[in-house]
Amino acid sequence: MIEALGYPFVQRAIVAGLLVGLVTSLLGVLVVLRRSAFFGDAVAHASLAGVAAGVVTGTSPLALAAVVAVSIGLSLHRFERSARLSLDTILGFVLPFFMAIGVLLLSLSPGFQPELLSYLFGSILTVSWEGLLAIAAVGTVVVVTMARHGRAMVFAAFDPDGAHAAGVNVSRVLTTFHVLLALAVIASISVVGIVLVNALLVIPAASAKLLAPSLRRMFVLAPLIGLSSVLAGLVVSYRLDLPSGPAIVVVAGLVLLIAWASVAGRRAGTR
Amino acid sequence: MADVPALTVSHLTVQFERQDSPAVEDVSFSLDEGQIAILIGPNGSGKSTVLKAILGLVPFTGQVSIFGAPAVEARRQIGYVPQRLGFDVTLPLTVRETVRMPLLGRRGREVETAFDHFTEALGISQLLDRPLGTLSGGQLKRALIARAMVTTPRLLLLDEPEAGVDIGGEQTLYDLLNSLVSHHRLTALVCSHELDIVSRYADLVLCLNRRLQCTGPPGDVLTPDALRRLYGAAAALYRHRAGGSPP
Repeated sequence: MIEALGYPFVQRAIVAGLLVGLVTSLLGVLVVLRRSAFFGDAVAHASLAGVAAGVVTGTSPLALAAVVAVSIGLSLHRFERSARLSLDTILGFVLPFFMAIGVLLLSLSPGFQPELLSYLFGSILTVSWEGLLAIAAVGTVVVVTMARHGRAMVFAAFDPDGAHAAGVNVSRVLTTFHVLLALAVIASISVVGIVLVNALLVIPAASAKLLAPSLRRMFVLAPLIGLSSVLAGLVVSYRLDLPSGPAIVVVAGLVLLIAWASVAGRRAGTR
Repeated sequence: MADVPALTVSHLTVQFERQDSPAVEDVSFSLDEGQIAILIGPNGSGKSTVLKAILGLVPFTGQVSIFGAPAVEARRQIGYVPQRLGFDVTLPLTVRETVRMPLLGRRGREVETAFDHFTEALGISQLLDRPLGTLSGGQLKRALIARAMVTTPRLLLLDEPEAGVDIGGEQTLYDLLNSLVSHHRLTALVCSHELDIVSRYADLVLCLNRRLQCTGPPGDVLTPDALRRLYGAAAALYRHRAGGSPP
């Protein structure tokens, strides 16, 4: 394993994985708080429309996927308010609608597109320097925005009316949160792929929710679990010659199961 | 100079989309500083809608001003206690974190003094490290009042604070509210269904059934005729004689 660290593509993979693990698990705490676990799945699958448009037109699939995802992030809260539909109902429309557009676009392109598999299931070992820079830029934007507006985001996600009454611009704060989520989802596609991206958003935050005694600790624990899962997943993937995206998700899932068992055991012990 | 009213509501009308008639129509009233005003009326009469309009949570026509300033510019003067908080009770969110939410990370001696004072005054200082989901109904309401008070507002809006609270807790809650109002130059506008509470704690009663039906002190307003007009035949307020049976 140590000798592998000398390869630039392995170094890029580790840094990309850690950045994505940090960003998604931080945002994941807000996802759990807002009870919008479906968001990551919906935006990731909807971004297939952008990927497909990129494949068909020969432009960067991830750049077009980012355009689709950020557009959804920007319009989601406004749509939620004006259409008088709940968030999960809107996401239930967004996912199949944009994914269907993606499938229709792909049907225009003849033959098998092997690169599609890397978007669906991730390909962390092929992350380029440009890709890594883009992930680092997303990571910086997310961390800086959360450091400045994280408390307002927590308040708006937990109790929108209470936050509004306290002077928080809930609409702007939730839209910012959705755009950050969209960016994080796109940044994660190269690591775990469209199909598994939601796991990085939800699983570390859910594990932290089980173990943490306060929201503050949850914000500390979730990134620790996210980062450990990415590192352990990469090691397992290297040692056993397995695809890295699914390995990371399985490790994160095992952490959740262990957290659940430990909490259940503690409860049984106190009865 | 005459004192500016704490809250002035003029010709307030709220019309929701896809509804034939307004939820609230042409409602006007004003509250003096230090008053506890209680909005009463049957379900669907528009009580919560009036509070939401004052908070700017629903679109309305008419004017709302707080200490002479348009409500939209005076939002920081308002504290709000919702009727219920739909949250995941398994969240590891502590009472301390919940009460501090409106502070948005602000620190400093004044802020900490207000935090300590209101958590003490509302009897939740021993509960600060407890998860919010483990509180009883009365404790949760007191935590939400503390959350509304930490920014030291001058106008407090409470939407049925007694909902989900037992009878003893109800009395404690209104005693605390009374004490907050008298000690902090606070003005409170409360929605309530509890006519007994209204008769004991309100300085001003506002009877609402889409339109304002009557306004005045409890002794003038809570008459059998007025209650029958407001709620229908079933409503009445019985005053027990000391040691006696209801009349």
